[in-house]
Order: sequence, then C-alpha cells, then structure tokens
Amino acid sequence: MWSYLIGFAGFLLTAVLQMSVFSQWKILSGSADIVLLFVIAWCLQDRSKRLWLLVILMAGIAGTVSALPAYIPIIVYLVVYRVSRLVQSRLMQSPLLGMLVVTFGATLLQVFLNLAYLFVTRVELNFSDALVEVALPSVLLNMLLAIPVHAIVREIAHYAFPKGVEA
Amino acid sequence: MINKLLTPKNLRNLIIILVVAGVLFLAISGYLTPVFSFSVSPLISAQSWLSQRYLAFSDFFNSPRDMATLRAQNAQLEIEVAMLQSEIVALQENLAQSDILYTLLDFARTNPEHEYVAATVIGREISPFLQYIIIDKGSNDGLRHGMPVVTQQGLVGRIDALISDAARIQLITDANSTVNVKLQTAGVEGLVRGSVTGEITLDMVPVDTDAQIGDILMTSGLGGTYPPNIFVGQVLTMQSKQNVLFQTGSVQPVVDFSNLSAVLVITNFDSVDISPLVP
Repeated sequence: MWSYLIGFAGFLLTAVLQMSVFSQWKILSGSADIVLLFVIAWCLQDRSKRLWLLVILMAGIAGTVSALPAYIPIIVYLVVYRVSRLVQSRLMQSPLLGMLVVTFGATLLQVFLNLAYLFVTRVELNFSDALVEVALPSVLLNMLLAIPVHAIVREIAHYAFPKGVEA
Repeated sequence: MINKLLTPKNLRNLIIILVVAGVLFLAISGYLTPVFSFSVSPLISAQSWLSQRYLAFSDFFNSPRDMATLRAQNAQLEIEVAMLQSEIVALQENLAQSDILYTLLDFARTNPEHEYVAATVIGREISPFLQYIIIDKGSNDGLRHGMPVVTQQGLVGRIDALISDAARIQLITDANSTVNVKLQTAGVEGLVRGSVTGEITLDMVPVDTDAQIGDILMTSGLGGTYPPNIFVGQVLTMQSKQNVLFQTGSVQPVVDFSNLSAVLVITNFDSVDISPLVP
C-alpha cells in the first residue's frame, strides 16, 4: 500500500514538473516526457502484483490532463508495464540498460500513436517534419533524461520497497 | 651690600637658574635637537618594540573572542543578504507580472467592445505534437468552452476544455486549429492552419489574389469560432503552384507562444459550433 502511495505521489510530482518545466525545454519542436520516464522507471523497480491498477490510474490522469485521447496513454503505459515485467526477468543484472531499452521502445510507440491519432483526425501532416522536428528530438531528450530519472526513482524505490519485502 | 647678596647659597641658585635658562634657550633655538634625537631614539625603539610585543600578546588572547563575534556577525549578514536577494527576485517577478497585466489592461481598455477575464498560464501540453496551454481560471470564473483567448499582441487560441479552476487552451499553432482570416491589404479571406511543429501557414487564398509579403492577417469572424478583427500575424512568404486553385504561405504569428505568461479570455463572445453542418 505504501509503495502505491509513493508511486502515485511521484507520478503527480512528475506530471506537475512536466507541464510547468519540461514541456518548455525543447530541441527543435520536440520535448521530453518525464511522466512516461517516471512510469517506466517505477514499473522497472516495483514488483507488486497489482501494479497494473496504479498504471491504469496514472494513464487515466495523463489522459485527462493531456489533450490527447485517454486511450493513448493507457495503451502506452500498459505496454510499458508488460515489457517492464519481461525486462525485470531477463535483464536483472543491468537495470539501466533495461531502462534505456524500454524508454526507446515506449517513446517510439507513443510517437507512432500520436501521429496515428493526428492522421485519423484528418490533420494535414508533414511526416518528414513531424519525424525530424518533433519525434527524433523527443526520443533523444527522453534517452538523455532516462538516466537521471532512473537513478532518482531507484533511490526512492529503496525506501518504498525494503529488501526482501514484496507488496 | 654685594657681599651680602653673593652668599654661597644665592650664588649656587643663580648659577642653576642661568644654566637652566641657557639650556632652555638652546633647546628653544634648536641647537639641542641632535642631542635630543640621539638620546631619544633608543627610547623610541625600545618603546615600539615593547608596544609591538604587547599588541601581539594582547591579540593572542583577545582575537579568538573577536573572530567568534565576527563570524556570528558575518553569518547574520549573509542571512540578511540572502533574504534581500530573494526579496529582490520576488519583486522583480512581481514587476514583470505587473508590466504584463498593465499591458493587458491597456489592451482591454482600447478594445472595450469585449469583456475580458485575465488568467495566468500555469502549464503546457505534455505531448510535443500538440500545442495547448493550461490557465488558472475555469468555469467558476465564468469561462465556457470555445471562448476566444487573446493577449495584447493578438489571437492566442480558444478554450478547449475546462474544470472549475483551470482551463485548457488550444493555441492557433496546434495542428488541429484553423482560423478564418482576412488579408488587410489584399482584402481577401484565407485560412490559417497550425502544424505539429508549432508553425502556422496561410491557405485557401485565391490564386488570382496579389497577396504581399508583410500583409497583416486579422480574424474575419467567419465560422463563428473567433470574433472579427483580432490581429493574427503577418505574411512571411507566399507560394503559388501551377494548376492549383489556392495559394499558400507561411505566417509570422504576432504572439510569442514560447513566452506566454498571461492571457485574456473574451467572455462575451459565444462561439458557434458548425461541425454538425460540415458534410
């Protein structure tokens, strides 16, 4: 229970930071998504059986705050949750590598779903501009910020999940 | 008589007086200065040596107490400096905010046909593909869906979603945004579209129109989404291809969307949703 509360509080804090600070840090037109990075890092640390409930709650909030339809964060975060479980079991000895792999995959999935949504809603898209000016800079920023976010979440996880205790 | 006066005692006193007067005379007239110097300089040297040793001795015992006092005073002063610096930063922020609000107030006064609610920008969209901002006023402040949002410079966007104390604004730079405009010099109408990169383009300008670079774009009021005659931007470039019906062009928006900190919501304009009429 305690771990869920810490995870939820951390999510809210990163959402506030994202909207007030990180959305304005741009390379070309791309920006980092530290909310997604937090969800990835938390899923890689948390071994709770009902973590998926917290993930859906986080996705619901992200979908409400964002102008994107709520199903996009729900799909992305649930995929992150599922892949994180696989990475936890396969890349136990190199968690940072797991973080980078999941970040890369999740950011690409999010970019793809964003573009698909805009395409479906009949927005006139210049795909090369969207890729070069938004998608790739966003992937780069997410990969750069994945390392510090992973380190911070790992420190927090030491308090949330004492060794040998599973929720 | 003389023998009576020149007694040995008086003679001795007279000699003493004469010697003292002579010495005084010599001293006053400066003849004894070398003698004084020669005799006083060892005394001065001894005095300064003793004085220095005393001061060193005194410092040795008193300085720790003074250092502690100085350190305490220094710490207190550093705290005061830090407090004053933070006060200066806060005052500078207030001043900048006041400047923005005064400018918005001026705009509201010069455009009295509308009623405004001023709001502060408190957040931005998470997704880099969308261009939205979040403001600190919501339905409790009389805001409704679709209300236009402006700054003293020009058009910002419209309210897309709101809760009791906050609202989400779709900027005119968003890929889903379209604004009906008229070119002030050319006197024709067109459509300004946003994009995923946050740039805005001019479209649907008839190909036979002589659209000039630098032409000013104002809202036309068509479509019922925005009130007419709000400044949108200036034409940067125009492109006209063969065998097409309309020209396109790039637009320089008047609003600096990367530095939006306060906006005005026009509350007495009811936008018309014509989407059910669109085939």
